[in-house]
Amino acid sequence: MKGERKAVLPCNGLDKEAGALAREAALKLAEEGASLVCPVLFQRNPKRFEKELDAGELLVIDGCKTGCASKLAKEHGLKLAGRLNVTEMLKEVGIKGGKKPVPDPEHLARLLAALESVGEMEEESARETPSGLFAGDVEMSEFMEGKFIFKVPRDGYFFNENDCWARVEGKRARLGVSDYVQQSASDMVFFEPPALGAELEQFDDAGSLESTKTALDIISPVGGKVVAINEELVEAPELINEDPYGRGWAVEVELADFESDRELLMDCGAYLAYLKEKVKKENEERYG
Amino acid sequence: MGETTFMGVPREKIDWCPAIDYDKCDFCMECDEFCPHRVFERRDDEERKLVVAHPQNCVVFCRACAKTCGPDALSFPDKKETTAAIKRMREEAGGDEG
Repeated sequence: MKGERKAVLPCNGLDKEAGALAREAALKLAEEGASLVCPVLFQRNPKRFEKELDAGELLVIDGCKTGCASKLAKEHGLKLAGRLNVTEMLKEVGIKGGKKPVPDPEHLARLLAALESVGEMEEESARETPSGLFAGDVEMSEFMEGKFIFKVPRDGYFFNENDCWARVEGKRARLGVSDYVQQSASDMVFFEPPALGAELEQFDDAGSLESTKTALDIISPVGGKVVAINEELVEAPELINEDPYGRGWAVEVELADFESDRELLMDCGAYLAYLKEKVKKENEERYG
Repeated sequence: MGETTFMGVPREKIDWCPAIDYDKCDFCMECDEFCPHRVFERRDDEERKLVVAHPQNCVVFCRACAKTCGPDALSFPDKKETTAAIKRMREEAGGDEG
């Protein structure tokens, strides 16, 4: 990823070709100097790979969406520096993996080529935010329900009913999830950003998050083009728990048509009222 | 329990829930275990061992279960169409909601 020692954990699944390809991709990276973490051995004896995992950034390679390697990493509280999905990567080049756990040479060649370009893309850093934007502390309102305190900004943010926010300044907006989300989801362990340059419609997914309790998509309150990604958040997803409206921002977009999007959103006052009702109802349903 | 709304529209009028492709589903039950809103239900005695029992519980615009599905057996309505339908229904109900 950034020239540091890499550790790679493939799923090595035997149920279809994708697992065999994940293995081959991992072997290729091992040839280039990464430490190979065997999923089966790691399952039996996690201590065996302690050194490799402490020393390097972990790249997980899942064959398919079942995500066995990711789940294994998550069960052991491992922090992911990156994650690849073989089935998704092949889909992007119009290939569908086979049913037998044997790597097709052409599929493998295309996969390794895609791997190369992923490496290149990561060197491209996010475009700089114009200075002065999104600076300064945000004032919060707070309210209590049961033994929980929920925070909502006083101004400048717009929310959808999926509890995601857009902080709008001029033609740009930063996107994130609300304090309610970080409290419900608990500790965040992984942030998968959208692609730089992606054109999002209002309510499209703007990346996804995984916590110790659940997984959720960031549902963009606005339409626009992704112009920056919070690299700090990729490295430290827990920033969402620490500062969900500030340093925990996920994505920055250039707005397409905010005036139109705005009609379907709640401003800070409206969201505060909405959230109060929501948590009150949840409390009633839970405790009667 | 009372009426549930989403963006000012009665939830029952919004078409949003997962659809199971039974040609692909292997009944691993991951989606049911994952979903915190109890949208799915196991039916051990039936041929279709997993069904979408409570489509109204599904959070509009959430597609997290589809991302979890290994065999890619879950699909959702088009988000743009859903947004357009919600807009239409809000307008029909007459401006001052929410």
